[in-house]
Amino acid sequence: MKIPVFRVLVGFILGLAASLAYGWLIQPVEYVDTAPASLRIDYRTDYVIMVAEAYAGDEDLQLAEVRLAALGPMAVTDIVAEAMTYAMEHQFVPADVENLNRLSVDLRTLAPTPEIGSP
Amino acid sequence: MSRSTVIGTALGLLLGIALGLFIAWELDPLEYVDTAPASLRSDFKADLVSLIAAAYAGNGDLERAKARLALLPDMNTSGYLAALAQQRLAQDFPETETRALAQLASALGEGPAPASTSMTLPPPVTLSAAQPITPPSPTTFVTEIPPELALPNATPTPLSTETPEPSFGLISRVMICDPSLTDPLVQVQVHDSDGQPVPGLEILVIWDAGQDHFFTGLKPEIGPGYGDYTLARNVTYTFQLAGSDELVTGLMVESCIDEDSPPYLGSWLLTFKQPPPP
Repeated sequence: MKIPVFRVLVGFILGLAASLAYGWLIQPVEYVDTAPASLRIDYRTDYVIMVAEAYAGDEDLQLAEVRLAALGPMAVTDIVAEAMTYAMEHQFVPADVENLNRLSVDLRTLAPTPEIGSP
Repeated sequence: MSRSTVIGTALGLLLGIALGLFIAWELDPLEYVDTAPASLRSDFKADLVSLIAAAYAGNGDLERAKARLALLPDMNTSGYLAALAQQRLAQDFPETETRALAQLASALGEGPAPASTSMTLPPPVTLSAAQPITPPSPTTFVTEIPPELALPNATPTPLSTETPEPSFGLISRVMICDPSLTDPLVQVQVHDSDGQPVPGLEILVIWDAGQDHFFTGLKPEIGPGYGDYTLARNVTYTFQLAGSDELVTGLMVESCIDEDSPPYLGSWLLTFKQPPPP
């Protein structure tokens, strides 16, 4: 029996199109049960600002470090630096930048912790 | 349609699906990026609510806290915050977090924010004319303490959204006979010098075999300056506002009698107030 290559190609295209239509239109991905590390950059920045505001109130640097660690395996100082960069680029109010700066400076007084590598 | 055509098409379909799954699962698997707070797992959402409250405790900006909470539907009511505060208090989370949640819950409860219906709370207490069985001493009932006697050397503190300094004094200690209260409670009301309720104040509970604590503001439906603690029978308690030198001693469960009902267990109401500025 000779299998026509043209038919295989048509079937292949149909299968690919069907699976993509199913994945994109019928049953699209729903983002649920995500972690803070996946937050969009503006939400991440606000998260870090909240940590800085909380730190300005309670002055608990260890607690601030724990809260920042939820944002992923980056060093906490880098996480704050990323937020500062975004805040300055988007002209956040000076109080936010000041809080971030203070948190950043104080975090550098802590002993450095190694970054957690990806598996 | 010939048999070879059907087989060819089916083979192509299988290859296409296989390639699609290989791309989706191995070559370029899905990564969650650029998500919004509403998509967070529930425990991360609770952490975020707690962080919003902590930030509010730091900056006192209620509008900003409301805007942040608006990103988390169903978790932005004062009732939810109060319930979360109680949950975290029981789980020994940092005290600052619990206090911050209580403060934000109270702040939201004072405004037009929708009230939660998810919590079962005792009704507001009312004083009845029922008499306790023992002891019959009149000191069992209301002991009004003149402010000038109750608050020696008190230093007035400006109140803000932050925790005020513990310069509060006991102004009344009242036994409550309310049959609608299922458990005997010590109910605490704390007011500032202007008579405004004060949330987020810690109250220490001490007895001969241990100690515990609770906060005002965890039940904003009753009042932002309100907190309560369930008493056990045959235990004598001492209550103290955290950081204050004043102790409320000798509190224990006592019975009440009504003419129309059998004896039941009474509760206590302690009212603290900040002294007026000099």
